[in-house]
Amino acid sequence: MVGSLVSETLDRLIHERIRLGIVSALAAGEGMSFADLKQVLKTSDGNLSVHARKLEDAGYVRVLKGFEDRKPKTEYRLTAKGRRALEAYLAQMEAILNEARDALERT
Amino acid sequence: MTIPTHEDRESAKETLAYIRRTMESASSFTAVSGWGLIMVGFVGLLAAWLAWSGTHDADLRIWLPTAGISIALACIFNIRKAKQTDVPIWSGAIRRLVWVMAPALAAGAVLTVALARGGSEHLLPGMWLALYGAGVTAGAEFSIRAIRWMGVSFLLLGAAALLEPGAGLLLMAAGFGGLHVVIGLDIVMRHGG
Repeated sequence: MVGSLVSETLDRLIHERIRLGIVSALAAGEGMSFADLKQVLKTSDGNLSVHARKLEDAGYVRVLKGFEDRKPKTEYRLTAKGRRALEAYLAQMEAILNEARDALERT
Repeated sequence: MTIPTHEDRESAKETLAYIRRTMESASSFTAVSGWGLIMVGFVGLLAAWLAWSGTHDADLRIWLPTAGISIALACIFNIRKAKQTDVPIWSGAIRRLVWVMAPALAAGAVLTVALARGGSEHLLPGMWLALYGAGVTAGAEFSIRAIRWMGVSFLLLGAAALLEPGAGLLLMAAGFGGLHVVIGLDIVMRHGG
């Protein structure tokens, strides 16, 4: 993870690895169930719940609870705010690489 | 922005790679087994040889069991690869893949009955190749790039067989046999098994 002054300017909410994974996975599709997210991110129930809750509290993801074949199902979707946050984060990552490339060319 | 350090740059690269990996894993089924496709190809070649030795090209007594065996082989090898590469087997991506492939394959099943009953068996090879190609091309939206080329090639072979039914068996051998083996080898070499 970025550990210098640069990292202080990043969105801390999605900088954390599992939360970044949740937002990235949801950005790739329309929505994902808790079980699918858990498999894609290879993490535990507890870990995923805690981080998903933080993203939900921030308005980055929306949780839809329902039933499928009489079994409870939790589905996560990325909100417009979440998508903007990921785009901003990606732009920051690209800016870091561009800055580093420019610095390399100047030397 | 503050001038990034070497660590910042390496970390940004790694983070972008993680985002890409996660998005791919969430949206596509990547555990397509090259060995599975090669086995399916050999089954296809064997079926084509049996049909050639028999009385008619689109002999359902040969091709229906061939379809069943091929589906079983594909499932076994894909599940094995998914386990080896630690990819979810029944994820949202594979559910979407099955759903988009199903209509073309179901249409193929209905048309098989209709054409065989109506005495138009000579159209079966082209229809099978074309609809299998349509299903695979659609499914490729949720899988690796090699699968898209395989689907498009099947569509072309199907079109050729529909326009030239006399070459139907040869084109089925080229498609269900040759194409599966070639694409399977490509996946084995480029995607590790």
